Amino acid sequence: MASEELFPAELSEEITNKNFNEEEKTEILEKETEVEIADNVEAVEAASEEKVNGASENVAPEARLFQLPLSRIRNLMKLDPDLNIASNEAVFVVARSTELFIESLAREAFSYTTQSKKKTVQKRDVDLAISSVDSLMFLDGAMNF
Amino acid sequence: MVERIEDLNLPNAVVGRLIKEALPEGANVSKEARAAIARAASVFVIFLTSSSTTLARKQNHKTITAANILDALKQLEFESFVDPLTSDLETYRKVTKEKKDKAKTTNSTPAANASGANDEDMEAEKAT
Repeated sequence: MASEELFPAELSEEITNKNFNEEEKTEILEKETEVEIADNVEAVEAASEEKVNGASENVAPEARLFQLPLSRIRNLMKLDPDLNIASNEAVFVVARSTELFIESLAREAFSYTTQSKKKTVQKRDVDLAISSVDSLMFLDGAMNF
Repeated sequence: MVERIEDLNLPNAVVGRLIKEALPEGANVSKEARAAIARAASVFVIFLTSSSTTLARKQNHKTITAANILDALKQLEFESFVDPLTSDLETYRKVTKEKKDKAKTTNSTPAANASGANDEDMEAEKAT
């Protein structure tokens, strides 16, 4: 995961945690263990993402839980100045809902494609979908960043 | 933090695959349309996060949880997402717990027992 290289501070934090773990396994604070485990989970998740991206068809069911990279989702979430901490579960739910969002926007856009008797979705169809669905109003004018 | 603007884009390959999966066989997507959908998805993440942090703050919570996200989705008229997401979340919890249990047997740290596989599993990662 190339994007993780952008956070040397976090990585070194993880490393210190690990060293700490090895040295004082018994006296570890619960909080730090949680962090350690969270890191582990993310590492495993990253591994399963890689598997999915490797496009192999017979992957374990848990590897299919989500397809978008959680690290990228977390980075986007961190743009919010009011965000302090997001639980791993929260990031997962955001990632999955974004996948559902992509799928429903694609379907909505495709309905305009078929209306004009075409088979290839054009940007115009996406724009039409955005301006016609109420819940997509938030995208109006937010697409040119 | 985010050092390059490209880091805000979601990977094209994954977005393209998700779109393909949603559409009937034989349908295609132009590059521009895919880029527009990807962009919309990034905006969606930011929009959803900001609504969720607002909800979390109202409850005086510093950490945003899965429940905050689901509540925000309801508020933003994406109610139809909530049911599938709830079952996905259950699966995620199961998988995470299994991984944790495995880690427990190899690490055998007693504190891991106490933490549980709930939403309280926080990342000590500050958004600074």
